[in-house]
Amino acid sequence: MRRRDFLAAGCACGAGLVSRLAAAQTPQTPWQAPPRFARPDVAGDEGGLWAMMDRQETKLRQSPFALRDPKLQAYVQDIVCRLAGDHCPDVRVHLVRTPYFNASMAPNGMMQVWTGLMLRADNEAQLAAVLGHEIGHYMARHSVEQLRDAKSRSGAASFLALFGVVGAIGQLGLVAGSFAYSRDHEREADRIGALLMRKAGYDIAEAAKVWENLLLEIKARGEGAEKTSPMFASHPPPDERKEVLGRLAQESAGGVSNEPAWREHVKPYLREWLNEEVKRAQHEESLALLTRMIGRLPAEPDYTFARGEVYRLRAKGSDHDAAIADYQAAVAVGGEPPETHRGLGTIYRLRRRPLEATASYRRYLDLAPDAPDSAMIKSYLEELRT
Amino acid sequence: MNRLVAALLVCSLAGCASVAKVESGPRTIGERMTVNLDGAWNHVTAPNMGPAQTWTMEGLPIDQLLIYSGMKDGQVMHAETAGSGRKSFAFRSTMQPDEIVAMFEGMLTRDGSSFKLVKLEPASFGEKGFRFEYQLIRKVDNVQLSGIGYGSVSKGELFAIVYLAPRLTFFSRHQGRVEQIARDARLKI
Repeated sequence: MRRRDFLAAGCACGAGLVSRLAAAQTPQTPWQAPPRFARPDVAGDEGGLWAMMDRQETKLRQSPFALRDPKLQAYVQDIVCRLAGDHCPDVRVHLVRTPYFNASMAPNGMMQVWTGLMLRADNEAQLAAVLGHEIGHYMARHSVEQLRDAKSRSGAASFLALFGVVGAIGQLGLVAGSFAYSRDHEREADRIGALLMRKAGYDIAEAAKVWENLLLEIKARGEGAEKTSPMFASHPPPDERKEVLGRLAQESAGGVSNEPAWREHVKPYLREWLNEEVKRAQHEESLALLTRMIGRLPAEPDYTFARGEVYRLRAKGSDHDAAIADYQAAVAVGGEPPETHRGLGTIYRLRRRPLEATASYRRYLDLAPDAPDSAMIKSYLEELRT
Repeated sequence: MNRLVAALLVCSLAGCASVAKVESGPRTIGERMTVNLDGAWNHVTAPNMGPAQTWTMEGLPIDQLLIYSGMKDGQVMHAETAGSGRKSFAFRSTMQPDEIVAMFEGMLTRDGSSFKLVKLEPASFGEKGFRFEYQLIRKVDNVQLSGIGYGSVSKGELFAIVYLAPRLTFFSRHQGRVEQIARDARLKI
């Protein structure tokens, strides 16, 4: 009931915001969501594009990378429907196991949401901000403009990367597949996304935080990284984006973030997604992400363990000390992954502390007797015994 | 690996990739490693293929055997693409077996492929080392592959082989040969 009230209030506020935003852009023609799109004639360029995306969607449905969880799927689809309004029946959400920040939407209504994005969203509103942005591209039919532009300059590869086409090469990155629209298109999608968020009752301030958080990771790569990032090659500068979205949020304060619901739905996957994040071996970016997450959720041992793993694998300077501190913090909280004890054992073994190494490895095998590396760990225990 | 295949295709068309037959019998790879082959392999060379020798039985990209001989501390394990923004993976002489496997995992999944470790166990590879089994789902075409690897660190240098082939038919066809190479590997002291 409370949630419905929030949403209703959001719709009311959103309506006001629509007129204000529209007034700021084109006073004579306020932006309104277009009616649902009919399938274009297959003989035309747009019809051909839809047909191609239909084939990609068929592949995606069968892909081993597809995350098939009806509950999470329905939850994300519901968020999309609240944002897309009348277009809801035309948008099909596909959750994809890929540890990079990305969502994409093809003109035929195929929407991909990658697990790296879901790992990074702090709440439902932040996911809605990205999905609303993608729906903004869809409603404004930016892809058709891009298609015609791509055809005129033979830019088919970068064009297909817009939709995270299965198997497309070269679109991976922290913000994979999101760099081929023009800056003007991105600005427009940001604005439409903010409108859709507000109409759905979400707090627009969360949209600004998405880009702020992403910038934190990109900057962690090193000095000047944001200038060389493909994300910002064609997107509005991050400061501009934060400022515009922040201003929109101030003009229409309020709305929900729905963090508890979000946490509940992603909790079953947190360990798997963090594992994938650590395996990316983008240590500096992962440390920025995990340090931010630990600051927000200090009682969640999986984040602390994951940061310990990143420190252990990076192994620079005092990284092993930092890893031990994180592993121990995860143990102190309780409910830590079994691999926490393997990490401790490995560092203690390297430091020639056989008693602590033995105790940690034994604890690991107690908690995960069928671990794929159990034979290796048993050989270490034998070596430590002698 | 996608980049490798693309590079090979371009190079083949341009005439800069070459394939040489590796005859059966004892072969020295690098300065310190010797293997004994019970059958011929194909050795693929092309610019930007990295420090590992790339061998194949069926042809790339169906199967590949990467052979690392004497990788030194700090040495990058793969060809680097300028301006790609992708992470480089370098060997450290203090790496433990699980860290070396994690390094291979990172290399094999740079294109978004999915890696699952099936087993990691102690094994001999020239000297005391390790063996691992894994499964990989290749991002570019969703093909499910199986793989095995062996490695050891001797005098601070890494010696390793990593094999990869489609799970159906091809992996089992050549796994025995790869295991044999590992069993017969010798390192000069």
